[in-house]
Amino acid sequence: MIELRQVAKCYHGQNGVTPALADVNLTVQDGEFVVVVGPSGCGKTTLLGLVAGFERPSAGMLTMDGQPILGPSHQRAVVFQQPTLYPWLTVRQNIGLGLKLRGTPGDRTRLAVDHYLEIMGLSGFGEHASYQLSGGMQQRVAIARALIVEPGVLLMDEPFGALDANTRGDMQRFLLDLWQRLRPTVLFITHDVEEAVLLGDRVLVMTDRPGRIGDEVAVPFARPRHWDLALTPEFLQLKRTVLSILRPDMFF
Amino acid sequence: MPTLGAGMPEHFSSPGRQPRWMWVLPLLLVFAVISLWQGLVSFKVVPTLVLPAPSAVWMDAKMLVLQGFQGQTLWSDMWISALRILSGFLAAVLIGAPLGLWMGTHRVVFKLVDPVLQFVRPVPPLAYIPLMVVWFGIGEMSKTMVILLGTIPVIMISALAGVRSTPRQRLQVAECLGATRFQLFRHVILPSALPEIFTGMRVGIGVAWTCLVAAEMIGAASGLGWLVQIAGQDIQVGVIFVGIAAIGVLGYLMELGIRLLERRVVPWRGHT
Ligand SMILES: Nc1ncnc2c1ncn2[C@@H]1O[C@H](COP(=O)(O)OP(=O)(O)OP(=O)(O)O)[C@@H](O)[C@H]1O
Ligand SMILES: [Mg+2]
Repeated sequence: MIELRQVAKCYHGQNGVTPALADVNLTVQDGEFVVVVGPSGCGKTTLLGLVAGFERPSAGMLTMDGQPILGPSHQRAVVFQQPTLYPWLTVRQNIGLGLKLRGTPGDRTRLAVDHYLEIMGLSGFGEHASYQLSGGMQQRVAIARALIVEPGVLLMDEPFGALDANTRGDMQRFLLDLWQRLRPTVLFITHDVEEAVLLGDRVLVMTDRPGRIGDEVAVPFARPRHWDLALTPEFLQLKRTVLSILRPDMFF
Repeated sequence: MPTLGAGMPEHFSSPGRQPRWMWVLPLLLVFAVISLWQGLVSFKVVPTLVLPAPSAVWMDAKMLVLQGFQGQTLWSDMWISALRILSGFLAAVLIGAPLGLWMGTHRVVFKLVDPVLQFVRPVPPLAYIPLMVVWFGIGEMSKTMVILLGTIPVIMISALAGVRSTPRQRLQVAECLGATRFQLFRHVILPSALPEIFTGMRVGIGVAWTCLVAAEMIGAASGLGWLVQIAGQDIQVGVIFVGIAAIGVLGYLMELGIRLLERRVVPWRGHT
């Protein structure tokens, strides 16, 4: 369980103090899939960075399973907005890095990587240099690299934002399957309301900067979910609800 | 990327590839310069003592290679200069790069070493020569030390800058994969710093040559700097020319060597 109590974050820069987050309270249960949406620059990435342990809060408390979050941990995998691959490693080595770092035997790593190359639609690209892939392919490598260690908590910052619509659909389906199998705790950031409603158990809508969690919309659809859920009237109704909170100006 | 260009016409395979006839251009320039030079001499615009004819310089070169000048052939001077450069430069890289990496990863080391580095850096390496000669004589040690002292700040600063320029997210990715401090260094920081270190090495090899030639001019009995210096005292302009050309050729070869090594070690250079 991840808990945030009255968390605030200010950045101190040359052009003064930027309040990025103010008074965020959030509880994510084990195995829950929580999606955060919000306008650009409202502090979503900041929130994720705090939970990951990259940044310390200016005020408030963050805990995971009762322990304060003091730094990054292999229990919390992160997928960034940018792929951030290591250009000196091949695609295969990038994906297998997490296993290598914890001393997994080479042949086991090899099998696991083969598996992920396959699901990510990257078969045949294992020996390529990471920079020889397209942006969307690189992002899939980054996702595979985070998932291969089967982390208990997945922190994803607009992971599919750079993908084309088709691949994004594939990835969403893949993530739903994965969640069904492994039941990780997921904190997922997106600006795509449809994606939010399709994936999440709850959708949190953040307010403009300094960000706080404004509203929360529960997503009651049963799992396992399939992509055609997005075509049902109930789904559209819920999407409309979230949109009306996020962009009240679009509804009058 | 050997596979990407396969099957395509030669000049399409990489965007930077020049048309075939481009190699003529430098030859053309050399030909033009030699013609102008021969003209200046033939029409007695300048006395041959100041500017000997190209053919005379060619004779000097042959003499230098076959008989040598004041007891040393050109080859032996080139050889000894190359050895000095390599020993001083390799020492600078082998000591400077780890030191710079260490400074970049440990605050205490940085605070300790940086003031010294900042103090030493603006001192022209030539200023060390008298001291080195007094301490180590005119033997090999003094040359190695001058090159080492002159080059090591460049290498250290490049390694430090390489560590500093490691993108934060690269570190964060590895931290989330459970990397230990050492793994973080080995798998992220070191490879991220390598391109900068190579840039430092390419600057450094130039500095090393400056140091070496100056050191050989002041206190040495062999080497290309010594050759040029002695020839100057004898007003043997042709020999000076050959000496300078030899320095140029060796310097170029070493730069080429570093570039080759760079392409092997950091083929990802320029890619994120
Ligand atoms: N390292 C930093 N230093 C100073 N200010 C920062 C830093 N990182 C973020 N900010 C500021 O904090 C605010 C929130 O940034 P953040 O990246 O969290 O937004 P976001 O919601 O992820 O936006 P987007 O949807 O565009 O990715 C912004 O105003 C930004 O300028
Ligand atoms: Mg963001």
